[in-house]
Amino acid sequence: MSTSTPYVPRRMNRHSEADLIAQDLAIEFDDHDFSEDGSWEEYPLTQQNPVVRTVDPENVCLVVDDASMTYRVRSSNEYKHSQGRFTRAVKRVTGAGWTEVPALSNLSFIVNRGESVGVIGTNGSGKSTLIKLLTGKVRPTSGEVYASSTPVMLGVNAALVKDISGKENIRLGCLAMGLSPEQADAKYDQIVEISGLSDALDMPLKTYSSGMASRLQFAIATSVDPDILLIDEALNTGDAQFRARTKKRLDEVRAQAGCVFLVSHSLGTIKQMCTRVIWIEQGELLADGDPQWVCQQYEEYTAHKSNDRLRSAKVVYERTRLQLNPIQVDFTDGTRPKKAATSSIS
Amino acid sequence: MAAPTIERTGESEDSYESRQVAQLDGTNLIRVGARPGLFRYIREIWSFRHFLYYDSHSRVSTANSTDSLGRLWMILNPLLMGAAYFFVFGMLLNTGRGIDNFIGYLIIGVFTFRFFTTAVSGGAGSIAGNQKVVQAFNFPRACLVISSTVRELFSSVPMFFVMGLLVLTIGDIKLDGAESIPTTLSWHWLLFFPCIALALMVMLGWSLALARAVNAHTDVKHLISFGTRILFYTSAVFFSPDRWSNIGADWLVTVMNLNPLYCVLDIIRHAWLYDGFADPARWIVLASWAVGSMIIGFLIFWQGEESYGKER
Repeated sequence: MSTSTPYVPRRMNRHSEADLIAQDLAIEFDDHDFSEDGSWEEYPLTQQNPVVRTVDPENVCLVVDDASMTYRVRSSNEYKHSQGRFTRAVKRVTGAGWTEVPALSNLSFIVNRGESVGVIGTNGSGKSTLIKLLTGKVRPTSGEVYASSTPVMLGVNAALVKDISGKENIRLGCLAMGLSPEQADAKYDQIVEISGLSDALDMPLKTYSSGMASRLQFAIATSVDPDILLIDEALNTGDAQFRARTKKRLDEVRAQAGCVFLVSHSLGTIKQMCTRVIWIEQGELLADGDPQWVCQQYEEYTAHKSNDRLRSAKVVYERTRLQLNPIQVDFTDGTRPKKAATSSIS
Repeated sequence: MAAPTIERTGESEDSYESRQVAQLDGTNLIRVGARPGLFRYIREIWSFRHFLYYDSHSRVSTANSTDSLGRLWMILNPLLMGAAYFFVFGMLLNTGRGIDNFIGYLIIGVFTFRFFTTAVSGGAGSIAGNQKVVQAFNFPRACLVISSTVRELFSSVPMFFVMGLLVLTIGDIKLDGAESIPTTLSWHWLLFFPCIALALMVMLGWSLALARAVNAHTDVKHLISFGTRILFYTSAVFFSPDRWSNIGADWLVTVMNLNPLYCVLDIIRHAWLYDGFADPARWIVLASWAVGSMIIGFLIFWQGEESYGKER
């Protein structure tokens, strides 16, 4: 991905050329008065006043306000980037420095009640980071995420404790989601049925195959009916029989949720399930709109990419981005939310 | 993840796209992942009490499940430790000279010290070590620390039984250079319970504060084992504090008197071995440690509530 030819699309070309000329002129003729230069007319009117639109607060499920995310991770190779010999030596001894990995940059969008939003993007484009921000596990580096209730993630990473039995894991998971013991008892049969693991429930979890564990995780995670639902693509693992059961339960959960996020690589699923698609590419919002159109652009883009036609890919990229209307969230005076949600779902 | 290669030339102020401003009233919304207020937080912990109890309970039974002797190690471990200390300190270095009922003294010291430090270090690592659970569910994170401390209490019950039995049976064996006071069961033994309750509060407070520190900087773990050593030598686990005053280091005695773990040991020893009350100052010091560290530890932990999901 790192070897793209320095192609600058035309509409940017114009912009940057203008900048360059202006800079050059400014250096050469310091006291030249540009206002009478007349060259302004040659450039189209590029700035527009923003369109202000009022959003009905009753309808809003989720607001992402200018959220960006940069991970700071420990890296043992970081010392190689240090300039000074001394800092290099020190960093080498301490074994690690911090590397900053930009994952998402300044994303804003609003999701209304009743929408099903598909999230697509190539690997490493920031989809999972977005989901993490939405669930509130990680706080964005800048910006914030607001919602009408805490979004719940259905993913294969629903925690299970390796040393205790499947049965105990079910109960533990239910209680960790904020259910009371009675509710957990009531859900128990349903979870066992969805997981289809009734034979293995007394064994400790470390004896489970990874497929079995993820089935159990899925069953536990879907036992509650959240209002804002995030579904991870990796859920459609498992054998055919389990997939059918999964789909049934997912449809049920989806039907009662206020709004649904679906992260997937399967465009078929996205087109079928979603009313809106968000395409994130290299940490930036590239498209946000009609599933058919966005998916078509995405297919074209990935096709070019996989055949190493980087310029064509970039053309699609730019073409798509032209259609994007970035949104800026503005809360009416003093109503920027601060309060926290209750952790318990019920 | 690959670094972005496509450079963006247009920032939001000077891009060509028509910009939209969505104006909305945010009164009904919440900030996702925000930390609740202090009292709300406490109430939430209360509403997750079943999770807390079940988590600690279900994991007690599986501790040591990979060892072939299983949970026997909970008792064997301090026993062997006690035997080793008895050999090194009691017989080789003779630190027990002048301590009545030295065997009982040592047993109470070693067992209780072990209980205290495993609970604190377990609690300190409970957030960093349970990232999967933290990532998957939304619950007040303090539950994990509390549950780890409660778990340690549960799993120590058999250990305390053995401790009591040993003190009763061999605690009063007469050694050279010291008196032997026969140990008998009396109502004084009940003082053990309020004393351990206060100790639990101290442990929980320390665990909460340390859990945040360990989660932020894993390096703190190394300091914890160092701190444990220091605590070991300033708690009179295997010697008498008179040792210090004898050599004129009175300031060390003051340090020890202010050490909550020493207070715990002293109270239990007086109650079990010498059939009486410890200095009331011990109770005062221990109680103030308990209340103080609970409040401060809890506040420290609560302040960092939003940072516990972060990955390294």
